[in-house]
Amino acid sequence: MTDLAERVAAPTAKVDQAVRTPGPWRSIAKHTGLILLTLVMLYPVIWMVVSSLRPNEEIFRSPGVIPDSFRFENYSEGWNALSSPFGHYLINSAIVVLGCIIGNLVSCSMAAYAFARLEFRGKKLWFAIMLGTIMLPIHVIIVPQYVMFSQFGWVNTFLPLIVPKLLATDAFFVFLMVQFIRGLPRELDEAARIDGAGHPRIFRQVILPLMLPALATTTIFTFIWTWNDFFSQLIYLTDPEMYTVPVALRSYVDATVSTSWGSMFAMSVVSLLPIFLAFLVGQRFLIKGIATTGIK
Amino acid sequence: MSAIGELQRLNTSTGGPPRKRDTKAALLFLLPWFAGLLLITAGPVAASFVLGFTDYNLIQPPEFNGLENIQRMLTDERLHHSLGVTFTYVFVSVPLQLAAALGLAMLLDRGMRGLAFYRSAFYLPSLLGSSVAIAVLWRQIFGAEGLINQALGYVGIEGTGWISDPDTALSTLIVLNVWTFGAPMVIFLAGLRQIPVMYYEAASIDGAGRWTQFRRITVPLLSPIIFFNLVLQIIHAFQSFTQAFVVSGGTGGPSDSTMFYTLYLYQRGFHSFDMGYASALAWLLLLIIAAFTAVNFWAAKRWVFYDD
Amino acid sequence: MKKILAGVLAALLLAGCGGSGGGKADGDLTADKIELRFTWWGSDARHQRTQQVIDLWQKAHPNITVKGEFKEWNGYWDSLATTVAANDAPDVIQMDELYLASYAERGALLDLGTAGKNLAITDFDAKALATGAIDGKQYGLPTGVTTYSIVANTDLLAKYNVTLPDDASWTWDDFKRVGDQISKASGGEVTGVQSWGFDIGGVNIWARQNGASLYSPDGKVAIPADVLAKYWQYLLDLSKQGIAPAASVSVERAGAGLDQSGTATNKSALATWWNSQLTSLAKASGQNLKLLKIPGEGTATGAYYKPSMFWSISSRSKHQAEAAAFVNFLANSQEAADVLLTDRGIPANTKIRAALTGKLQGTDKAAAEFLDSVKVGEAPRVTPNGASDVEAILKRHTEEVLFERQTPQQAAEAFIKELQAGIDAA
Repeated sequence: MTDLAERVAAPTAKVDQAVRTPGPWRSIAKHTGLILLTLVMLYPVIWMVVSSLRPNEEIFRSPGVIPDSFRFENYSEGWNALSSPFGHYLINSAIVVLGCIIGNLVSCSMAAYAFARLEFRGKKLWFAIMLGTIMLPIHVIIVPQYVMFSQFGWVNTFLPLIVPKLLATDAFFVFLMVQFIRGLPRELDEAARIDGAGHPRIFRQVILPLMLPALATTTIFTFIWTWNDFFSQLIYLTDPEMYTVPVALRSYVDATVSTSWGSMFAMSVVSLLPIFLAFLVGQRFLIKGIATTGIK
Repeated sequence: MSAIGELQRLNTSTGGPPRKRDTKAALLFLLPWFAGLLLITAGPVAASFVLGFTDYNLIQPPEFNGLENIQRMLTDERLHHSLGVTFTYVFVSVPLQLAAALGLAMLLDRGMRGLAFYRSAFYLPSLLGSSVAIAVLWRQIFGAEGLINQALGYVGIEGTGWISDPDTALSTLIVLNVWTFGAPMVIFLAGLRQIPVMYYEAASIDGAGRWTQFRRITVPLLSPIIFFNLVLQIIHAFQSFTQAFVVSGGTGGPSDSTMFYTLYLYQRGFHSFDMGYASALAWLLLLIIAAFTAVNFWAAKRWVFYDD
Repeated sequence: MKKILAGVLAALLLAGCGGSGGGKADGDLTADKIELRFTWWGSDARHQRTQQVIDLWQKAHPNITVKGEFKEWNGYWDSLATTVAANDAPDVIQMDELYLASYAERGALLDLGTAGKNLAITDFDAKALATGAIDGKQYGLPTGVTTYSIVANTDLLAKYNVTLPDDASWTWDDFKRVGDQISKASGGEVTGVQSWGFDIGGVNIWARQNGASLYSPDGKVAIPADVLAKYWQYLLDLSKQGIAPAASVSVERAGAGLDQSGTATNKSALATWWNSQLTSLAKASGQNLKLLKIPGEGTATGAYYKPSMFWSISSRSKHQAEAAAFVNFLANSQEAADVLLTDRGIPANTKIRAALTGKLQGTDKAAAEFLDSVKVGEAPRVTPNGASDVEAILKRHTEEVLFERQTPQQAAEAFIKELQAGIDAA
């Protein structure tokens, strides 16, 4: 291994302290500022949680975020308000999310490696085409795409949601990973090549471990975006048995009659938990960058 | 300044003599992507292009109408208005959001107490960003009786209903976009983690101040990631739809003040059964975004540094 | 790639000419096992009731499975348009007045008159039936009817000691006057009136009271610009004189839906609503609400029965006879009506309505009685093909007026021009 790689892998703990040691007042001021900012940022979230515990008619009549009632029935009623228990929609969403994550991790990282490290004819053109595919709004694609998937017999299955991800159609992540791979020193590949490694091995043993933050980012974002994606899930899943969380959540709301807001907020809170947990877990991997992974 | 010197050598190295092509390996690695392009993407994209030259109401078969849709664009005042709204949104919200994301990412990157807590708290709003609940939540802040006006009330100012006043509605959506800076923040954090700490250490020993470190180490080494966020956030902002849709109840109101381009295109296509025109609009948007992206890539040669 | 593109395009081209599906609408019901798809929009309460009715049908027809597909309003229309485009539409469709002609005149809906023995329409009120017919063909069967009304909060009126004139003869000037009294008496706590002008009902009534109508019988925009301008001038005066809330507050509440309206939150004493919304409003407000006739009806009749929604059948359904029989069950069976009650409006089926009225209680009963007490004229022409977005256009121009970005006269002319352009293009 090169000198650089060894130095890169050096432990970091001491350095952070060496960089700067703030005085106590500065620290207090900083934390006060951050906590205030946090409160402002979280106000809507807090309001939602408090409202999920209020009786329906109180939600819009009693302003503020001081919890004044604890109506846990909103949760049980919301859970059972639609044709299946809400858990059913959570499971459906989980299946779609899992498929999309696997798809994006595998296919996008492969494509990204090719664009970042390999030389081939028309590379720039293909790269431009890849970026171009995310520039068209989905609303004009969806009708022809629906026609196509219904010819395949895929409507009302999870296939139209998952298969495209297995085939690297999410150019966002390809581009993301390309940028990360290009940020990795080429000396590392060269060293492995001298050791006799081919591209598949360089990809697996050198690049993938080093781009762990990018993979974690991809996982977190795919999870969150798929979990929240409404439009394509609405269009492709027509049978309520197949509904996912965002489609189900909107079924509570109708602007022309009175809506079970309590149930809706309760289930919004419930559906927020998995993605928040995913983020909590995922962010630990963000921290393990090149500096702590080391190079083997 | 040995570390920075080495860094600059790395940045400016061109990677030696041109290497031979890796066609076989490229085919292997790009196989899923090519398959997706051909089987999933190409058909619908081409169909939408063809539909751009038709009159298509979704229920009856499309009829070719030549360049009529393009002529319509020239005189469509609501289209021109929506372009104005969209450009304002892109130019104001993208820099603000990226600045917030980068600033907080750098603040949170250093070892500090409660780091994980803040990071999660700042990300939480992004989880809600497109939820159906956001319309209600946003009214709790920017509504006539929302948080902002309550605060203004204490100092004796009577505020307007910020969301539903055509003069301020777009600003609230810009704030909403900045509020959900979590995604670019996480990407910046991941990028910052890839910068070897030894550079800062060395610079610190050499006596470089924090500003110098930021300019000479962070920016160059993070530049591929800054560039990525810039390109993608611009594309994303041009296509912005969900937040305006949810907050305005799908109307782009009040008075078209939040009528983003994509929202207009969606309304033409689905509410007015005008999918031919909507398809043509989509391709105009593609041209606009592509032009911006091309300029971005061209400019990137001057400020983005790759190690390869 | 070429092959896929050709396939997609061919499918798009063919989708429109799918023609009628298999089976005649008046044929005998199949004994085979089949599946009907049935789609509607609404909130969770409607989903539950409708599923119960489906279960009832299932018991009597074990071989005809009905799959219910529920959506919320916006998503519903995106999804419906997409499935129709792909020739994959549900068999039984809940349809709205705004969209009826846009789907029917383009051949997507079945003429229910051809269903013969499978679907009886004899018990329906003729005026209500007419709202679902275009050129003599019955494309939609009204589920229920509703009429425009004033909802008054009697608790607020008592609190501020304001008595209303007789609603059989009150005028728009009276309405303004009492609204002003309430606003003043409350000292800004509440407004007398909640602004409207965001739905099609208000403008229809105004036009009809002035001897005009929004559309001519042949489906052109027919409302004179000065009539419309006076309507908006009236709304603008309410807002500027403090009788209705400030423009931004009105627009916000209009966009937020029923639960966050001035009526539901007890911040406006008088407001225009469809009478069928009384129960929802009373539940949200928690105070005593009362239905009153629209002002101005004493001198000229503007009121009419609006179909709250329709049952329609896809013209490309493969099981038209069975779909017709299922609609028959929804519209004519007492069993179904006992579950659905007034969820989709006060039933337009007169027999069902008569049987139901006795069972209704509280605000539901008040709403049904109000409907019978209103003197209505002929229903306005169904929203023409190409005007399905009329409410969005109307709302935008109302906003332009309330925020004084356009004068009422300018807005009226612009509204008429834009609406007519949409109809011409369809």
